[in-house]
Amino acid sequence: MIIETLLAVTGLAALVTFLVPDEYAGRAAAVFSVLPLLGSLLLWARFNGAGNALVDGDVAFESAAPWMTLGGYKVQWFVGLDGVSLPLVVLTTVLTTLAIISAWSAIDERQSQFYALILFMETTLLGVFTALDFLLWFVFWEAVLVPMYFLIGVWGGPRRKYAAIKFFVYTNIASLAMFIAFVALVLAAPVETFSLPAVAAALRGEQIAGFLGLTPDLLRTVAFVAMFVGFGVKVPIVPFHTWLPDAHVEAPSPVSVLLAGVLLKMGTYALLRYNFTMLPETAAALAVPIAAVAVVSVLYGAMLALAQEDLKRIVAYSSVSSMGYVILGLIAYTLYGVGGATFQMVAHGLISGLMFMSVGVIYHATHTRMVGDMSGMADRMPVTTGILVAGAFGYMGLPLMAGFAGEFFVFVGSFGSTTLPFAPIFTAVAMFGIVVVAGYLLLAMQKTLFGPFRLDTDYEVHGAPLRDTAPLAVLLLCIVALGVAPDLFFGMIKDAVGPILQGGGL
Amino acid sequence: MAAFDFAPLIVLLPFTSFFVAVAAAIWRPNILPKGGALPGIAATAGSLLVSLWVAVEVLGGGRTAETVYVWSTGVGDAPELVFSLLLDPLSALMLLIVSLVATLVHVFSLGYMNDEDETGLPRYYAGLGLFTASMLGFVVAGNLLMAFIFFELVGLCSYLLIGFWFREAGPPSAAKKAFLVTRFGDYFFLVGVAGVFATFGSAAFAGPESFPAVAEAALTGEASVRTFGFGTQTWFSVLGFLILGGVVGKSAQYPLHTWLPDAMEGPTPVSALIHAATMVAAGVYLIARIYGFYALLPTVLAAIALVGGFTALFAATMGLVKREIKQVLAYSTISQYGYMMLGLGAGGYVAATFHLMTHAFFKALLFLGAGSVIIAMHHNEDMWDMGGLRKRMPVTYVTFLAGSLALAGIVPFAGFWSKDEVLYEALVHGLGGSPILLAAYGMGLVAVLFTGFYTFRMVLLTFHGDPRTELARNPHGVGWNVKAPLVVLGVLATTAGFLNMVPVHELLGFPPEYLHDWLAHDGGRSAFAGLTSEHYGELLHDWAGYSTVELSAILPGLVSLGLALLGAGGAYALYAGDDPEEHTEKLGAAKTVLYNNYYQDEYQVWLTDSVVKPLSRTMDTFDQGVVDGTVNTVSSVSLFSGRRLRRIQTGVVSNYAVLLTLGLTALVLVVGVLGGWFA
Repeated sequence: MIIETLLAVTGLAALVTFLVPDEYAGRAAAVFSVLPLLGSLLLWARFNGAGNALVDGDVAFESAAPWMTLGGYKVQWFVGLDGVSLPLVVLTTVLTTLAIISAWSAIDERQSQFYALILFMETTLLGVFTALDFLLWFVFWEAVLVPMYFLIGVWGGPRRKYAAIKFFVYTNIASLAMFIAFVALVLAAPVETFSLPAVAAALRGEQIAGFLGLTPDLLRTVAFVAMFVGFGVKVPIVPFHTWLPDAHVEAPSPVSVLLAGVLLKMGTYALLRYNFTMLPETAAALAVPIAAVAVVSVLYGAMLALAQEDLKRIVAYSSVSSMGYVILGLIAYTLYGVGGATFQMVAHGLISGLMFMSVGVIYHATHTRMVGDMSGMADRMPVTTGILVAGAFGYMGLPLMAGFAGEFFVFVGSFGSTTLPFAPIFTAVAMFGIVVVAGYLLLAMQKTLFGPFRLDTDYEVHGAPLRDTAPLAVLLLCIVALGVAPDLFFGMIKDAVGPILQGGGL
Repeated sequence: MAAFDFAPLIVLLPFTSFFVAVAAAIWRPNILPKGGALPGIAATAGSLLVSLWVAVEVLGGGRTAETVYVWSTGVGDAPELVFSLLLDPLSALMLLIVSLVATLVHVFSLGYMNDEDETGLPRYYAGLGLFTASMLGFVVAGNLLMAFIFFELVGLCSYLLIGFWFREAGPPSAAKKAFLVTRFGDYFFLVGVAGVFATFGSAAFAGPESFPAVAEAALTGEASVRTFGFGTQTWFSVLGFLILGGVVGKSAQYPLHTWLPDAMEGPTPVSALIHAATMVAAGVYLIARIYGFYALLPTVLAAIALVGGFTALFAATMGLVKREIKQVLAYSTISQYGYMMLGLGAGGYVAATFHLMTHAFFKALLFLGAGSVIIAMHHNEDMWDMGGLRKRMPVTYVTFLAGSLALAGIVPFAGFWSKDEVLYEALVHGLGGSPILLAAYGMGLVAVLFTGFYTFRMVLLTFHGDPRTELARNPHGVGWNVKAPLVVLGVLATTAGFLNMVPVHELLGFPPEYLHDWLAHDGGRSAFAGLTSEHYGELLHDWAGYSTVELSAILPGLVSLGLALLGAGGAYALYAGDDPEEHTEKLGAAKTVLYNNYYQDEYQVWLTDSVVKPLSRTMDTFDQGVVDGTVNTVSSVSLFSGRRLRRIQTGVVSNYAVLLTLGLTALVLVVGVLGGWFA
């Protein structure tokens, strides 16, 4: 019942926060959000799962209850964790608490609604990462969109309506494609349940029937592509990425933190759970186009980041680039490849969170995010600058920070993959992203942080207060801790991805 | 093996000083006396002591290669990734060099930074501490991954310290360039690391499971590895070239040398420590560290020798015309690392290591000497504003002269013996049947002439003649903290060459060639037999096809000495007077080309500004117009067309909530009906 408690407490916290007067809402939300944070750390400490939850593994904190029957198909309340989902749960709770604290400075209207929506979104995110029944999972998956829609649409920048609608419609259409594809698979498979382990076992093991005139193989391929695109929009992969910069630019910084830090990981998590776990042979057959999508996402995203003048757009496009590594690692189907991809989800969540948060702190002080509007911020905001520089180097994959671990695992895993033809070439080309990312981040830092102080918006700039810098420092510590000791998460990740691997390589 | 138990302290002590300085910089900037210098000095001196202890242990036959920390546990075939400690003669020697120079640079910084009332000292000492720790970590690294990790960390420290004066425009730009250019090289290195893991399943340096040992076994057919469709040696050569990319970047070899002269924007002690004696040496050291791998690969060796010989000559020519003292030294550094590459490529493992050591001493000395001059000149670095400083700064002059004699390669100073041995190795292996090595040797030999010239041009312009400006007439005094490191390094620059006097040994039969002996043996531990110069000699003979001719070391030594003296004499003839002229104008167009560094910087700037950036902007336009344009077009002709969208945008929160819920329900219903759930 521990996961139910976690969800209930978080959801209740959202309700209570909604009723708290605006001036106390931020503090209250922060205190409330510590409860799921502690809960997730407790889950981590007492984690006793083994293997992959979908492939004969021992699911940790498993809890199931019948919910309803739809046309002979059993729908359950079914939650549990394994080594893939637990790190994402911890990521969610850590980032939510820090995002709430960072919102104290950034949000100054309708606070109780804002914080309630953040906590509500946390509830749904935790649901996405813990649900093991498809319909239950889908309810959470769709429910995440609601708070995010309002968070962008109400508290966002000048074009917030456009960005919010674009985000909502785009991801919703993608969800529709994915939903239909998956349901078609379930209907074709010899199962009478939406339980993900059961469906996975059926799809991996047994022959499925045709559906609506499609042969089984064609059905698998069509469903795979539909789900890949459906989840890929969320990741996002090129060319389905254009909602992301708009959403980020308009979203307030704390929301960007959660959008980049956790919401994008829903896409890669779902790809891992559905496409790559349930349809491994189809994935292997499509390995070359998938790897091409990964490589294009890495390099195209990085080149777009180089062209941007808005700090937030730079970080937004760099997310496209970083998530490309995740796709590359997944298609490698090796321990370090798939494990590294999962680790990279957490690492990128923390690092992009840190970047958006520090850009938010600078924006709050300067009221601009344009690279050309400022220089020499290091002189006035030394601590923020120091952390931003550290975070940027984390993004560039500086060793002993989490990003390097994630990327290196992916590279080692994908270089020798036997599932992916021409694996060394794909890997080497994708790795060139580490040069481009250094280029645009170093350039942006040189222009904004260093040199003589100048600010075109003429605001008086002071060092950021502790409540702004403390969340940054905590995130930085987490990033370094995971970089020095990746096995904190990577140990359980390796255990959980082992059962879904195929082919050879490291 | 007590000393080896304490070996991790060599890395951890400077790391602690970094930590202390960072904490101070954040919370109480004034709490540390001397801005954090004292913890730094104590830590590096501690590292030096432990390094000495380790060296004694190694001298007694001690060797170790042990895992100290498991970074990622292995599962099945997937290897574990570890931090491991490799202590053998090569790493013990390098530990001594790095910790000694680091200690001296910390002391010197008291004079260069503290006494000059610089602000931000805790940040400075934090950078130095982190650099020292990372560099020492790189030196003791027992596998390629750990080496890469610290290779990147020293790059970070270099970035932070070059950009130390971040309020000015120049240093941040130079810092960016340094990191970016070396990162370009590191990209190839990282691909190489991934490739080594994928090929061998291990990246360890020492022992029978190490990748050089497995590579050798694979070539003899005793082991099988994945070669990705290539021939075994071809694939190994590909890996060798990839790793070489990192080396070329870090050791500032052509064509990735352009960052080093710009790096002189950093404080001079930083130039001495990072951009002359140690970090730049990391590339060369890496080749020496995995020489058992490179010795199998004649193609790569030839490329290393050629790049080295060319860089030695190419950089030396640019040093001929520079005005700033640190610029001369920067190009000289590039050139000298070229010699080390030449030595390694030519099969002169000991010679290259020897030159690495002597160069660390005399180039650190020259940079610190230049630092002393720069203090005296109130931070004016232009040699044409100096002159006559010899009488006013005798300690600096004498030690600088010792360093210059070593750099130019004048007997009996340290640089003569080591550079001479590098050239000798290239010559005998070249005559043994390798025209490429002979070509590289030829370039190295011509560079000797230029080295003699630019070195003494620098000495004469700085210290001799009449003072040419008011600054030079009344220089600022320097304290003990500046002079003491100069004296220590001056003694080393004079005497370090006696460790390995090959021609003298040949002539007299004594003294022993200590360095050859030091690097030759495995201390009776067969697990380390693969890391000895004896073994490398066999590999070079068996796999690279290197052979030598019987040739006395004396005549080649005299030739290079003669060229060095000729170059020095030329400088004397042109610049010895009380009031020397700028002869560089007589070079005409050649001077412009040299002064502009063969337009290598322009070419790289053009590449980024006129190719990459416009390309990225074009892609951005494409992305906004075509990719996003498609999305917007599709959405505007779809159900959610603009007008309808506006109608449902009522702004009332509950309306949206109802809409969303209805949408979701409709979705489930449609699929449910399609799937016959309600039948």
